[in-house]
Amino acid sequence: MTSETVNSAEPVRVARRRGIDGWRWAGRIFLTLLVGFTIMPMFWMVITSLKTGFAAMQYPPQWWPASPTLDNYWRLLDPNGSVGRDFLRYFWNSMFVSVATTVLAVLVAVPAAYAFSRFRFPGRNFLFFAILLRNMFPAVVFLVPLFILMRVLGLVNTHGSLILTYLTFGLPLAIWLLKGFYDNIPIQLEQAARIDGATRFQAFFHIVMPLSTPGIIATSIYSFIGAWNEYIYAYTFLTRHDQMTLPVGIQRFFSENATDWPGLMAATFLMSVPVVVLFLVLQKYFVRALTEGAVKH
Amino acid sequence: MAQVVLKDLVKTYGSVYAAKDVSLTVNDGEFVALVGPSGCGKTTTLNLVAGLIPITSGDIVIGDRIVNDLDPKDRDIAMVFQNYALYPQKTVFQNLAFPLMMRKLPKDEIDRKVREAAKVLDITHLLERKPRELSGGQQQRVALGRALVRDPAVFLMDEPLSNLDAKLRVQMRSEIKRFHQDLNATIIYVTHDQLEAVTMADKMAVMNGGLLQQYDTPANVFANPVNMFVASFVGSPAMSLVPLELSSSNGQSALTSAEGWSLPLSERNARKVAGASSNKVVLGARHSTINLHKTQMPGTVPARVYTVEPTGDITFVQAFLAGAIVNISLPPSVVVAPDEQVWLEFDQDRIHLFDGQTEMALRAD
Amino acid sequence: MSSVEKQAIFRDVPGFVPKRPSFGQKIWRSRADYLYVAPAILVMLVVIAYPIYYTIELSFFNTPASLSLADKQFNGIDNYVTILTSPVFWKVTWQTIVWTVLSTFFAFLLGLGAALALHREFVGRALLRGLLLIPWVISAVAASYVWKWLYHSDFGAIGAALVQLGITDRPINFIDNSTSALYSLIVVNVWKEFSFAMIMLMAGLQTVPDSLLRAAQVDGANPWQRFWHVTFPHLSGVSTVTILLLVVQNFNSFIIPFIMTGGGPVGSTQIWITHIYELAFLRQRWGVGAAYAVLLFIIMMTLGYFYVRALTRGDESRAGA
Repeated sequence: MTSETVNSAEPVRVARRRGIDGWRWAGRIFLTLLVGFTIMPMFWMVITSLKTGFAAMQYPPQWWPASPTLDNYWRLLDPNGSVGRDFLRYFWNSMFVSVATTVLAVLVAVPAAYAFSRFRFPGRNFLFFAILLRNMFPAVVFLVPLFILMRVLGLVNTHGSLILTYLTFGLPLAIWLLKGFYDNIPIQLEQAARIDGATRFQAFFHIVMPLSTPGIIATSIYSFIGAWNEYIYAYTFLTRHDQMTLPVGIQRFFSENATDWPGLMAATFLMSVPVVVLFLVLQKYFVRALTEGAVKH
Repeated sequence: MAQVVLKDLVKTYGSVYAAKDVSLTVNDGEFVALVGPSGCGKTTTLNLVAGLIPITSGDIVIGDRIVNDLDPKDRDIAMVFQNYALYPQKTVFQNLAFPLMMRKLPKDEIDRKVREAAKVLDITHLLERKPRELSGGQQQRVALGRALVRDPAVFLMDEPLSNLDAKLRVQMRSEIKRFHQDLNATIIYVTHDQLEAVTMADKMAVMNGGLLQQYDTPANVFANPVNMFVASFVGSPAMSLVPLELSSSNGQSALTSAEGWSLPLSERNARKVAGASSNKVVLGARHSTINLHKTQMPGTVPARVYTVEPTGDITFVQAFLAGAIVNISLPPSVVVAPDEQVWLEFDQDRIHLFDGQTEMALRAD
Repeated sequence: MSSVEKQAIFRDVPGFVPKRPSFGQKIWRSRADYLYVAPAILVMLVVIAYPIYYTIELSFFNTPASLSLADKQFNGIDNYVTILTSPVFWKVTWQTIVWTVLSTFFAFLLGLGAALALHREFVGRALLRGLLLIPWVISAVAASYVWKWLYHSDFGAIGAALVQLGITDRPINFIDNSTSALYSLIVVNVWKEFSFAMIMLMAGLQTVPDSLLRAAQVDGANPWQRFWHVTFPHLSGVSTVTILLLVVQNFNSFIIPFIMTGGGPVGSTQIWITHIYELAFLRQRWGVGAAYAVLLFIIMMTLGYFYVRALTRGDESRAGA
């Protein structure tokens, strides 16, 4: 055997085939169009909210406001004006209901999700499926019975009725999301902690809880956004103006007479600010939580 | 340090036995390896000792206490996990301090003990790092440190080396052995790698299918495997097992193959096969006890070479004998080629004989 | 020796007879575990089990408009017969199918395209992802109003833009016209939810092993073949979950049609949920509404079965003590 190789001829340099990368360009064009489609309505919402009622009702429209004004926003945020007073009240009602729902959902969901992730008690699968199935049903199915239930409990026209109701969809989602997080925390960490002298609860509190903080943050954002955006129950359960939340409030507010489109656009803008800010700041938790359960590794 | 006694330990999942009637005694200061293929029940047994899963029946004694119903934290044990199970959000210092913190030791004492353990394991410079910033070997040391800092009665180790690369594994193997000698610690060590068990342990417990097969010193397990499973599991390359038929003519016992050759048995081996439950007997031999001849000689049997693997100082040969594969080791000076016809000679004093029906070793008594 | 004595003592302890624990024993042994789930189960029982039971009961009764429960009358399956023999039922069902299928299809398609386009690392990727997700996080009420304004028959931006670009002569009546209203609303719905599909599929793409894609490249597969033979099969699990969730979500849609058109014009955007709402709350036909809800319940249970199955694959194999 010899370690030399014998070349019978000079090697031929083969030119690399270099076509245009069609797929990459298709992706870019698609993405550009998609971003345009996504942004356009939001863009028009903002543009309109900066116009006077007169400027908005023109054909062809002013694509850029001739004399932009923040009047619509001042009106909504003026606590002394009648419009502002109502709007701010709706805003705080929404805030209260959403925060209360979130806190309760997380408090109840954390132990439940932990149990579903770690324990194998009889009925576990059934209960978990039952909880998951809740999110298959539209609000309408629950509307009449819950309305009657609220009447029995004396909660009609209170925020309590909304908080309790919102838990019905907030809780299953929270349990599912948190379970996804707990599933990804190696069980050996808790076993190590228990051998190191921790009780089951201490192991949970010292080791699992800190590791699941991202999950708790994500779950909280979800609950908050879900409650903040909820419409049907609020629309059905609340008839008193001073109790209404934003989605219901702004509707009643602007459709009484001819619609004030710039004012409505300003209101939808303000209504979207909390969720969009919350979402953009905590985007990575939010995205991770959603996909955790769906994509198993 | 303390002794550990497992008494008729049973763990079932539904109707499946994960551990069945496991009984063994680990003496004070002894290093015992639980070894077997995956799913054999070794990790289950370790978790039962740790108290991480409840036992179905039986008893576990650590020191002088029956700990069946005690929480893991009250069993005075420390455990090193396969993936180390270091708390990712805590620094190395906090990881080592956690078991002491849970025992509510004063702060200065925790500090002193952690630094002491860190010094022993040479990880003092890593104390402020987070686990994910450490290499595999360093994480392994921290995991050992977290067990060491407690000064527990028993150390439990669950495949602690299996996540390391080959070179590091050899190095950590000797470090753990050293650790055992220095501390005179009682250690129960789970591994699927029989080589780890043989090289490190005072005694090895070979498990299969939830049952304890053999519990003895590595040398005894190697020399006198109780059944075919243990024989083929311990030792590398594995013991060759050749199923044959028992025959006798003129009072002389022999093993015959379907190919027609027969191997006369020595008087001692003849006494062994007398206890066989049928005429099916399995011949077992380790690679170093088989001689290879290029020409037929008295007492040899014909085989055909399958593969040849030179490793430098030894050449391993696999050959077909009566339909089974036989491992043979040769000095590199002997050159054989695949498909070559060879003759094998077995050392009658060092072969193993197994009952072909029960798979148990045949003894001469 | 103490260990021998100890073992001797063991033999005297009354022996344990191994047997499989009964179901009751298992429950009793797990009693501590139930404490963790008890609060959640309690809430779910009150606000889920009870309403479902109640809806089923209501669907077999004729309940007065006042919802005075004392006066309800049992009428067997009359409510169901009313629904199934009504021409409106079939019209609404057809519209619901069109709405659900088209919304799901386009949302999934756009989401898949976006996920693939965003899979490659580039500057501003996170920003783009965030931007594309905004429609999904803002409230459907806000989205409905914004699109209603965009579609406005006189001053709507879309109609005006199409005229200025010379595509149409006059502004199109998007939602005041029974032939285009449903499709116009589907566009809004797709706008609102495509990024949900995107984010799910982006996560799915991360599970595609690079080594497989490289192997395929070495084997001579072009980008399309790599997508079709490697990437797409890996996405099947997450795609199933995503499509199921989209179908459920779209089948249960309410806010967009309710706010933008109220089901009109002439019922052309009426889908199941808006129809049920109208029957129950605007026309006070509680029994028929409840019967609809029960039918919906059955459809959802069927979908739910597949949803749970897709979602919990591999769940049992995870470690648990």
